[in-house]
Amino acid sequence: MSAKASTSQPVVGLSASGALSHAYIKYPPLRCNIPESSGLFYDDGNKIIVSQANNQVFSWKIAPFTPAIAPTSDSISEGPILSIKFSLDGKLIAIQRSNHEIQFQHRETGETFTQKCKSESESILGFFWTDCPLCDIVFVKTSGLDLFAYNSEFNMLHLVETRKLNVSWYVYTHESRLVLLASGMQCKAFTGFQLSSVGIIRLPKFEMMMAKAEANSKPVLASKDVYIITVYGRIYCLQVDRVAMLLHSYRFYRDAVVQQGSLPIYSTKISVSVVDNVLLVHQVDAKVVILYDIFLDSRAPISAPLPLLLRGLPRSSSIGIRSNRKNGDNSEANYLSDLEAIIYGDDWNFLTPDLICDVSNKIMWKLHLDLEAIAASSSDVTSVLEFLQRRKLDANKAKHLCLAMSRTVILERRPLSMVARVIDVLVSSYAHSLKTGGYFKGARSDKMATSSAPHENILSAGCMASASGATITGKSFEYGTACLEGEYFQASASSGTDLEDISTAVYFRTDTNIGTSKVPIDTGIQKIEVQPPSLQTDHDGTRNNLSGTSVSGMQEPQLTSPVISPDEMYSFVFCPAEEEMAGDPSYLVAIMIEFLRSASSEKIKVHPNFYVLTVQLLARNEQFAELGLFIINKVLEPSREVALQLLESGRQNRQTRKLGLDMLRQLNLHHDYVVSLAQEGYYLEALRYTRKHKVVTVRPSLFLEGAFASKDPQILAAVLRFFSDFLPGFSHTSDHKIYYHLLTDITMAPVT
Amino acid sequence: MGLSSVSINTEDLQFCVFDLKRGQYEGQELDKILFFYPADLPFPSQLSVVGLSEGLITFTSIFSPEAPCEVIEANRHSHVFYQAEADIWMVMVVEKSKEVESVWRIDALRKVLKEVHSLFMMFHGSIKSLLMKDPTGGVVRSHLYTFIMDYLSDFLVGKKLHLPSFRDSLKERGTIEMLTVGREVAIEVQSLVRVVESCGGNAQYHSLLMFQDLLVSTTLCPDDTINLFAYAVLRLTPHALSSRQSSWSYRGKGNSRSSTEATASFFEQHSGNSWSGDHRSILRPLQHDRWSKGKDGFLVNDIWHANSGNSTSSTPVIYLQQTEERMYLCAYQHRSLTLLFVVPVSSIINAEQGVNVVKQLILDNASLKMLKVEEKLSKGWGGENAYHVPGYRYLLVDVDQNISRASPPAKVDTLTKDSLLSLTKLRKEVDIEKSRARWDSPDHDRDLEICIRAKNNAWVIARTTRGKELYMVLENANETVLYASDAVEKFSNRYCNGAFSLD
Repeated sequence: MSAKASTSQPVVGLSASGALSHAYIKYPPLRCNIPESSGLFYDDGNKIIVSQANNQVFSWKIAPFTPAIAPTSDSISEGPILSIKFSLDGKLIAIQRSNHEIQFQHRETGETFTQKCKSESESILGFFWTDCPLCDIVFVKTSGLDLFAYNSEFNMLHLVETRKLNVSWYVYTHESRLVLLASGMQCKAFTGFQLSSVGIIRLPKFEMMMAKAEANSKPVLASKDVYIITVYGRIYCLQVDRVAMLLHSYRFYRDAVVQQGSLPIYSTKISVSVVDNVLLVHQVDAKVVILYDIFLDSRAPISAPLPLLLRGLPRSSSIGIRSNRKNGDNSEANYLSDLEAIIYGDDWNFLTPDLICDVSNKIMWKLHLDLEAIAASSSDVTSVLEFLQRRKLDANKAKHLCLAMSRTVILERRPLSMVARVIDVLVSSYAHSLKTGGYFKGARSDKMATSSAPHENILSAGCMASASGATITGKSFEYGTACLEGEYFQASASSGTDLEDISTAVYFRTDTNIGTSKVPIDTGIQKIEVQPPSLQTDHDGTRNNLSGTSVSGMQEPQLTSPVISPDEMYSFVFCPAEEEMAGDPSYLVAIMIEFLRSASSEKIKVHPNFYVLTVQLLARNEQFAELGLFIINKVLEPSREVALQLLESGRQNRQTRKLGLDMLRQLNLHHDYVVSLAQEGYYLEALRYTRKHKVVTVRPSLFLEGAFASKDPQILAAVLRFFSDFLPGFSHTSDHKIYYHLLTDITMAPVT
Repeated sequence: MGLSSVSINTEDLQFCVFDLKRGQYEGQELDKILFFYPADLPFPSQLSVVGLSEGLITFTSIFSPEAPCEVIEANRHSHVFYQAEADIWMVMVVEKSKEVESVWRIDALRKVLKEVHSLFMMFHGSIKSLLMKDPTGGVVRSHLYTFIMDYLSDFLVGKKLHLPSFRDSLKERGTIEMLTVGREVAIEVQSLVRVVESCGGNAQYHSLLMFQDLLVSTTLCPDDTINLFAYAVLRLTPHALSSRQSSWSYRGKGNSRSSTEATASFFEQHSGNSWSGDHRSILRPLQHDRWSKGKDGFLVNDIWHANSGNSTSSTPVIYLQQTEERMYLCAYQHRSLTLLFVVPVSSIINAEQGVNVVKQLILDNASLKMLKVEEKLSKGWGGENAYHVPGYRYLLVDVDQNISRASPPAKVDTLTKDSLLSLTKLRKEVDIEKSRARWDSPDHDRDLEICIRAKNNAWVIARTTRGKELYMVLENANETVLYASDAVEKFSNRYCNGAFSLD
């Protein structure tokens, strides 16, 4: 999708500053424009946008993000609305009517009830639905948290638990299941609770850092300055320090909150988004965005600050505005021309993780990364590849970029050590995904190789069934996704006390249970026994992608991970490189050795075709002695393909042919061995071997023809005798007759 | 035989190199002789050896112009012939004495001639080309003299030259002994080799990697590999460098190698005659104890530096046999690992400085990998008896790949003299069979199997099959031939991938 936007389709950004950008929003947006509607509410638990008009609430699903989607509507009773959130099972609508009451409405029956504050002194700051087993909904009040469970029988809430503490304001994201409660004069003392599916975890209290502008002034932290973000399955909190012009980051562990360093900011107004685990820091005043990949401890941005662009705008709309007007499509043209003004406009509201809500125009944008531009902007191929290998959202694109880049470094004949590092990145990423099951496609093909045919049919059928089932039942699908995400957890589980340790353990159990066959059906079965992961259950990005798979993935299979298998390395990197590189192949051979080194250190199997290519290259360069060394040391693993290639490449070199013969013998490929032996003229040896290993597939005529062609009557006689003795009924065949006569002819002929 | 009996009382060996095209006229016969050992033998005696040899070559080439004469077995002597180059012949005359110690295998002696000539060519170029440059023959004579004398000094035991005898019948000169490595290490090694190769850019660098005295990898063509391997084992490997306290070597020289003083005196004893010329200004690549390990890990020598007046470089220059390209030879050593690499002379502009740049480049790119490879090889190294197979004394030769492997010398020494004598006899038979087969059908290897029950009840076995040869002595073995053939089968399946158990 994005590939089209950035390559085949000319980029018609309306921004005058040019088309270069690393992040963009794509036309068309999702329009939430219902006449007479007021207010847009984001329900991040259900990933819907809610608007209300004329006692109706309209909700648009934004995951997956499809601009053309039609809203669903529910009618509600009249009254002020502070916020609206649907219950996670979608049965109830909760509407905050005032600081003191929240109204609930059953969507099917239309029944309503109201929950109010007990005392007048406290007020409700907000609420959220939760999938925590203890309760269904949490009210955040100035006096603390009220945890309620919904009783469907009596259609009412009953209080489960209260957590008393003073709260000035709070932030919550459904993605992290984490609520941070601010208290104190400066609002910089925080208490955190994580209401995950395994229960409630209370985080230790901590204070955020605030630089003082002057001795006496004490800045107050506002809720809009604190963001909870989830990247690579880890939870961070980002806090804007306006005085120091820094964005402090804190990482949440199960038993600790650790400050992780700070990022500089260049604008008084900033906002953050997370796209595909990449942190986007919007410097709103400067109208640029800076990208960070906080996978490692590095705090360096991925690339220079660049503006956010609008892409995918139809060309006609900018060129043919006039004609459009004639056609009466006036409003559209005006509307589009306004867009430029509103990039980073005051009405932009950044929603977690990667959405932008333009409140005044009532439109939703989704942020995208331009992987190609990011890749092009860095000269450090290794780190770009590492970055691309971590991308999940646009895995196809990332994969193609990786392949193209690795091809390029080879074709450009970059230094061996550098290419070796490139290969290491790709191979270790593949190995890692094999271990964690992210690359289930590859794992499955491995399995096919070892399993019998009927079994694998059942298996793949099962896959299909489960894949389609997954799209229907959203809940089970979610867990499947989380399992695919397992590798992230492993990667992040460096310190023993990580907050997401529970989930890591769960994933590991999953992995070991199902072994290498990471087909969806297996994960589907497993999740019955395995407890649902505790903390970050859904990674919206990945889920989007996956559910997109089942819809549009008919022609080109959508990938969940950009990892590159050895087979793909062979077909898309080495083969094209071999075709394009003329002359001395020793550079390519050196690179292929590096690939083998990398693969063997990760214990990855390499396809025989790869070895065949290596044999061809060495033979073309007439490096037969080295080829021999490669075979003897098994640098090129023995296989039938390699053996046949040795026989083929060794047409001019007897030693190489012999290596091929030996390999066939050692692989116990009796038929091939005997045939090749006979072709080499070793008839008697071949026959002895036939007898010893009971090879019955070779035709006698093969030997007889060869023996006759050798013009040595002794050999012909021996071959005839052999078949007469060891092949029952041979003496009655036409072969016997013909060659017996020929033999007598030869022996009777006068000696010349 | 026409040899003066007085002169050979102390010497049971004569060794000469001569050119058939020289000294065609009467009175100029001496001009033919390019080298003669012992040098102090009176000219008439020398001439009679050369004359007889030449006569036989001329005579036999009437019947077999391609390969005239290989050996003459006389009553008291064997004459071993080796045609080194067109018209250039090397002849070795060994005495058949009553002593058992001097039971020779002709093929083994011919391999000695071949080796000394190949090494000579590697350092000096062909004899023909030297003669072209200096038609008087003075240069080639002095080069040959120093070179061959240095070479022969390796065979010196006490005051006597000990040529390969029946005791060495489980060895094969002119082959390479390889270290067996696992796949993972082999890939690491290849990765190292490619890095070294890539340092050359457009110039073709080659390398030869050795661990102890065993070859690990080579990118040179087989002939050059054999030569460089032989030279490295003689002078460059850690064993060769520490020859004085050396205790073990695959070539079995460690035990019997005489001290430097003795070899020096051997050389001196025979110098000061007409052949040697002024040997002080002559390159002596085989001179003992001239190589040492430098601070940077590269091996340094004072051979080239001291002698090469016209060149400022102390880096040896060698000739590749196939391409006749001149190459700088550099050797880097890290513990047991020796990396030899050759750099085309044409690719380097100012000799010494250029070579140092290349050395530094290779050090920068490959030293880490070398550390890693050395560590891995050391870990997997089974010691000097790594390739010992209990109960067997064997020699395994892959003729195609020029690779051999044998029981460690210390284990071979435990065999009785009778067994070794029988084996020598058997090998002689096989040599004859092989040379016959070579003429009959050059592209078709013959299978051969011989089992002999020796006088001392040992089994002596030879097997050849498609380019591979296996020689074996089984002492204290069962008396049935079935047992012997079972033993071979077991060995073949276990250590030769079943190469000898085809039927």
